[in-house]
Amino acid sequence: MGLSTLRHVRFAGMASCVPKRVLSNIDDCPPSLQSERARLIRNIGIETRRICPEWQYFSDLAFIAAERLLADLKWERSEVDALIVISQSPDYLIPSTAIILQDRLGLSNATIAYDVNLGCSAYPFGLHLLGNMISAGSIKKALLLVGDKCATVRDPLFSDAGTATALEFSTDAPPMYFDLNSDGAGYKAIMLPVGGHREPYAYYHGIPTRDEHGQMHWPNDLILDGPAVLSFSTQRVPPAVEATAAYAGLKLEDINYFVFHQANRMINDTIRKKLRLTDDRVPSTLKEFGNTSGASIPVTMTARLREALQAEKKKLLLCGFGIGLSWGTCILDIDGAVLPEMIEA
Amino acid sequence: MTTVNDFIEQFLIAVDFQDSVEVTPDTVLLDLPEWDSLAALGVIVMFDIEYGKTIVGDDLKQSITIQDLFTLLSR
Repeated sequence: MGLSTLRHVRFAGMASCVPKRVLSNIDDCPPSLQSERARLIRNIGIETRRICPEWQYFSDLAFIAAERLLADLKWERSEVDALIVISQSPDYLIPSTAIILQDRLGLSNATIAYDVNLGCSAYPFGLHLLGNMISAGSIKKALLLVGDKCATVRDPLFSDAGTATALEFSTDAPPMYFDLNSDGAGYKAIMLPVGGHREPYAYYHGIPTRDEHGQMHWPNDLILDGPAVLSFSTQRVPPAVEATAAYAGLKLEDINYFVFHQANRMINDTIRKKLRLTDDRVPSTLKEFGNTSGASIPVTMTARLREALQAEKKKLLLCGFGIGLSWGTCILDIDGAVLPEMIEA
Repeated sequence: MTTVNDFIEQFLIAVDFQDSVEVTPDTVLLDLPEWDSLAALGVIVMFDIEYGKTIVGDDLKQSITIQDLFTLLSR
């Protein structure tokens, strides 16, 4: 589909929730790895991350974010026509987490609720999905819940978060512009190969090996092909940003802020340099919140842009990219949106 | 025109090794104690930003020495 425009969709508000528990990439790793970690942190730009305790899940964070957002928006529960969850850490393989949350949030049985399976690229795709329903006139108010429970103590990249975004029909809303793309030829670049129908769990998937640092590795660990992801991100994202801006009739100078998925410093700095953007227009939360998967765009907006977005109307370009492979860009105006401070739970 | 010595200088910045190491065109990448996935990512970024060249993981896997990497510049 590529480029498209949605009309009459207003960005009404957004809330982000992260776990209270902070992990340090230096302190929370084996002593034998600490000198190597200093170099790693310089290059990935991630010093601390947030991790859920065992009893907390993505849906708990998203639930808290949604409760706070609904309260601040003063929306009646019965007004929410659709609830879409985009996550790769559902409560169960089936049924959809969105349907469980429909009940937990006290939403009506008339609510459309289902899950979408996307990771780091999720946010623009989610805005487009719900925005389309609103733009078509079939629904008036909707919630998008995006995030993941993806942090582990061993892995230095990923961090947990849950977010809620509210969209509503408004005849006065300025257009939203989108560019959404998929390249399934790269599906092996980021992959959890075990546990689905092609390779169900078996006893041998539970037997780990130990590396030279004493770290355990399981056959069902996430596969992440670093060079492939880096090449994909730095080659695909800059032209997509330029194409979306051109489609919207904008120069990059006309856009106040560029919020990219927070992958790692190497990837994000390369994208920023290729687009010749200055730091002050490209907020980052890598240092303290790491890579929060699909939640990283809202988390960065909450942590870095909340005051600026509350002060006056701003034009933003949001760009998510990653697993699939897929990449999506959205240009929108945010004006008078409800934006609670970062929630820690 | 980039010389191999300029290239080696950029390479050492890109790989960000903790311990300094002497590198010549004949140095074998796998013999470098800190040549790892992070260094490989740094080299891919270096080709892109410093030289405007796109290389992928397979290009690195097929490069045995620094000279092989340098040759990718004129590809």
